[in-house]
Amino acid sequence: MKRWLLLAVLLCSSLPFLLAQTRTHQSGTIVRMRMADCIPQHRIMAALSGGRKVPTGELCPEYVLVTDKVVYTIVGKESDQLLPLAEITRFRLQHNEMLIRIDDANRESRFHVLAMTLRPEWDRQQRRAEEEEAAVMTEGRQ
Amino acid sequence: MLSGQTQRLPQRKTPKVLHEGADEAAVGRTSTARRRWPVSLFLLACSGLALGAPGDTAEVTYRANVTEVRLTFSATDQNNHGVATLQAVDFAVVDRDIVVRDFQSFTRTGWTKLQVVVLIDTSESVAPRLRQEITDTLRVISPDAGIPEEDLSLVSFHGIEPSLICAGNCRASRALDELPAVEAGGLTPLFDSVVFAAALLAQPGDSETRKVLILFSDGEDTISRHSAADATAAALASELRIYAVGLKNAADPSPGTAILRNLAGATGGRFFAAREGTSKVLDAVLEDAHATFTVTYKLPSRAAGFHPVRILPTHDANLQFRCRRGYYYTRGR
Repeated sequence: MKRWLLLAVLLCSSLPFLLAQTRTHQSGTIVRMRMADCIPQHRIMAALSGGRKVPTGELCPEYVLVTDKVVYTIVGKESDQLLPLAEITRFRLQHNEMLIRIDDANRESRFHVLAMTLRPEWDRQQRRAEEEEAAVMTEGRQ
Repeated sequence: MLSGQTQRLPQRKTPKVLHEGADEAAVGRTSTARRRWPVSLFLLACSGLALGAPGDTAEVTYRANVTEVRLTFSATDQNNHGVATLQAVDFAVVDRDIVVRDFQSFTRTGWTKLQVVVLIDTSESVAPRLRQEITDTLRVISPDAGIPEEDLSLVSFHGIEPSLICAGNCRASRALDELPAVEAGGLTPLFDSVVFAAALLAQPGDSETRKVLILFSDGEDTISRHSAADATAAALASELRIYAVGLKNAADPSPGTAILRNLAGATGGRFFAAREGTSKVLDAVLEDAHATFTVTYKLPSRAAGFHPVRILPTHDANLQFRCRRGYYYTRGR
């Protein structure tokens, strides 16, 4: 009887924790990917505050990940930190870093968050870029 | 070959439409095929009008928009074996930074024919290791291996220019007899030779023919008029794949080895060190030919210039994809 009681208490106490875990995970879609200069750890804050990036000579993958509300630009810490480009990418944020579990990997991969843009603003920028491209095309035809 | 966007034609000549923009080889075949008959009718009408107006010498420009990219690629698993069963959801294309998952079409490519040019560096620097390697390769690249004699050509290079040993009539034994003797102080026009071989393979073949260049070299160019970039561009334009066999000791990484790796990588081919055994080369060629796929998708960006392309897995990180490194897109004038 005591054992059952203990089990019930344990379950009840771990439930909020499990729910919190689920809530912290978000999902989005990677829409852009390029190889960009890797950023040394100590330069991340400078990059985030708009400072100049200092190239290390090595190339790391940089992704644009779109969610419902925010668009993140993230960069890998190593050159071989390639993400599978699935339709849905699940992630969580922790201390200015994005943690993404790749496939069945035991631990999550950490990416630096380089920039964050609100989704409506990003959508506007995309539309503007498309319009400019269309205008150039029309100009080219005339 | 890069298409010249549009072409101005005198009215009395038969009108010809060129695709606007991207690399003719990579872009637009599917869309062109779909629109072929209405375009043909339109052109027929135009040429009729042209014939009916003698003395009128005004120039007419015909344009056709190209909106599709066509990409052929191979897939291998973690053991470097070809993957023959692949689905469209297994990969995404990154075209000039933009991730493409919506494809117009995805098919397995049934290469039924191989057109092979073997390009042999006979300069002094590689001569001692050469003959046995070439003998082995030519033995396996024979009619018995499914490659008809008429689709095999041999080119050697040393001195100031490449020389064609045999084109479409290469028998292994005879070809070896005809390999030039090595001279001391030999020069190596590697890039010129790749451009030469690309021109040999440039004739448009049918859609079921895979064009392959097997290159034996140490990767050291000493005299070419063309650059490495020219050689890569020529290979891309001819839609050929380069399988490079490095004749330098692979344990000793050299600039030549890096050049060979780059040439192979840019065309979706592979690099092998000679000590790995030349039979591996043909295995790779045949395996790639049987595990090749073609995907078409809407041109994601009309930005002019080179569109780098790479294919990445969507869930199985062990999958490796090989395709050409990109294509050129030029806007119509």
